[in-house]
Amino acid sequence: MKKIIDVARYEYTHHVTKRRFWIALLGIPVGFLLIMGLSVLFSFMSFDRTPVGYIDQAKLITQPQEVPENLGLFDDFIELIPYTDAETARADVENGVIQGYVVIPLGYQSTYQVTYFSNKQPSSDVTSTINLLLRDNLLLQEQIPNLERIEAGSTVALESLDGSQTSDGTGWYRIFVPLLVGILYFILVMSSSGYLLQSLVEEKQNRTMEIMITSVTPNQLMIGKIIGNLGVGFTQILVWVLIIAVGLLFFKDKLPFLSDMNLSGGFVFISLALLVLSFVVVAGIFAIIGAIMSTMEEAQSVNSMVVLPIMLPFYFFQTFFTNPNGVIPKIFSYFPLSAPLSLSLRMAFTSVPAWEIVLVFVIQVVSIVLVFRLSGIAFRRGLLEYNKRLKLRDLFVKEVSHG
Amino acid sequence: MDTIVVNHIAKSFGETKAVKDVSFSVRPGEIFGLLGPNGSGKTTSIRIILDIYQPDKGTVEILGGPMNEEKLNQIGYLPEERGLYQDVELVRNLTYLATLKNMTKEEIDQKLPAWLERFDLSDHQKKKTKELSKGMQQKAQLIAALIHEPEIIIIDEPFAALDPVNTQLVKDLLMDLRDEGRTIMMSTHQMNQVEKLCDRLVLIDHGTVLLEGKLKDVQQRFAPNQVLIQTDSQLPENIPGVQSIEEEGLFYRLTPEDGQLPRAILQQLIDQRVSLNSFEIATPTLDEIFIEVVSQGRNNNEENN
Repeated sequence: MKKIIDVARYEYTHHVTKRRFWIALLGIPVGFLLIMGLSVLFSFMSFDRTPVGYIDQAKLITQPQEVPENLGLFDDFIELIPYTDAETARADVENGVIQGYVVIPLGYQSTYQVTYFSNKQPSSDVTSTINLLLRDNLLLQEQIPNLERIEAGSTVALESLDGSQTSDGTGWYRIFVPLLVGILYFILVMSSSGYLLQSLVEEKQNRTMEIMITSVTPNQLMIGKIIGNLGVGFTQILVWVLIIAVGLLFFKDKLPFLSDMNLSGGFVFISLALLVLSFVVVAGIFAIIGAIMSTMEEAQSVNSMVVLPIMLPFYFFQTFFTNPNGVIPKIFSYFPLSAPLSLSLRMAFTSVPAWEIVLVFVIQVVSIVLVFRLSGIAFRRGLLEYNKRLKLRDLFVKEVSHG
Repeated sequence: MDTIVVNHIAKSFGETKAVKDVSFSVRPGEIFGLLGPNGSGKTTSIRIILDIYQPDKGTVEILGGPMNEEKLNQIGYLPEERGLYQDVELVRNLTYLATLKNMTKEEIDQKLPAWLERFDLSDHQKKKTKELSKGMQQKAQLIAALIHEPEIIIIDEPFAALDPVNTQLVKDLLMDLRDEGRTIMMSTHQMNQVEKLCDRLVLIDHGTVLLEGKLKDVQQRFAPNQVLIQTDSQLPENIPGVQSIEEEGLFYRLTPEDGQLPRAILQQLIDQRVSLNSFEIATPTLDEIFIEVVSQGRNNNEENN
């Protein structure tokens, strides 16, 4: 056990102390924040706050626009100024007091058409501000009861064509769990497994492997490496999750839908537990690839064959939505590499029987045992093959010549 | 009890028989030479001893039994294909490899500086392996094999890439280790190094043992019954009891007639007033024995085929 920990600790610190790890760790959230920041800045800079005028020939506007108190720097508010004649409005446009003016003509209520006068296209903010003013005043005229409810907007209920699957629209956020699982899984595989693969191929290339396996058993070496590299991946995930959590906490008041979320602990736990188990299977497969491939280029070409099935359920998203207990979603749930995303997607759309969840976990555990045993053989047979690639069938058939 | 006992091991890789039948034993506190031409089965034999490969036939005993994890910790191994982490500092490299031999951090901190000093690597300890010269990497690799003070040391071509000064350093070190009672098995093709270091040797070719024994016994067995003399005088054309005289640089090689002993030749030379600078019984070099035995073995194989 001590040697497993020694190997794991070395692998972990070896990668975590490298500059490229920190670039990946901080680069992704920093890059994300940068893009967000730039888009906010761009939108802020392109937002024209110059007021817009209106001439109400239809005598429709009985309730003028409300000006919010304490306008913030980033609040996208455009003031609407009433005019009585077109000449004054036109002069103000030319003088830059307003960016344009809208004429609400007589008979508006039969045509619902207004004319906007300006030398430039109205932005979507301008049209929506005008629309809001018109809607509010129209609603007042019609004296519609429960105005607040109407203003709150509609809730969209979802139903599949055959009517078998429905969603009342209140649990929409459940889709975030498989989405998150998919993203985490992908990042874990691309980072940790990449490190594992690299470490094995490097040890073959720099001939350290022969020293290693005269100090530790192949199983100790492999388990230590998998644990160490899993640790690297989980450190990344932990840091990102913390950043997201802090962000959510910070923006909770500004994003009211966050407080509506009420995810079941079991659903999240099953999704994440399956993610961990499946990743161990992936790590074992990568260990086999690392043991039998002689160069990083060769290893990376096989790498994509493992990554593809992981993301496959996303390509069949529609099938998962329309028939989450159908054949394809079930097969994907049982296949170890696609299981975390598939089961999570199914659980987001429907209720999956408990026995099936247990079966998926059993398959994962059996797969881990099988993959580990196979990678043990690959270690023994492939690790000293410095200059040539071991064929997969050699793992089952015979040992290879080494001159 | 012998430290290593190799008992009729055989190993094939597909159609290739890397080791057909190899047996030898290594005794405690000796330097043992495992010799053989390229592709003779030396590396496979070493890997079988180290439990990297399982033999198809035969057994290996280390310290009186099969290899286990505890025994792995008592072995120091310098493989033919040297390997250190290229992108890692020397000290971190050696510390990690020593940790895997069950050394504690305190032990490593205590012993590593002395080893670095001995191999003149103290000033380079913060350098990455790839920044070190080939010779320095070789010395670092030796430290990795020896720092945990193993009972058994298995080294493959220990003098490759070393200059004469460092070769002498390593030779002295190996002799010191032998004097401390450690068992050393050395595989090399540099026969002059074996002659100066090894107590016993085994010579293998095509996966079979051609020769095994004490170095002196082997040399005696192959001694050609000749004498080598060095003289400033002109040698007489006929020396009674001498069949032929060949000039070899500063020496003359005298082949006695059948039944003539070297001391009779010496007497003849003295009688004929030849001024002798040196007189010695010719012993074959290991190189000569190696070539003779390997050629003979191959001829026998061809005849059998």
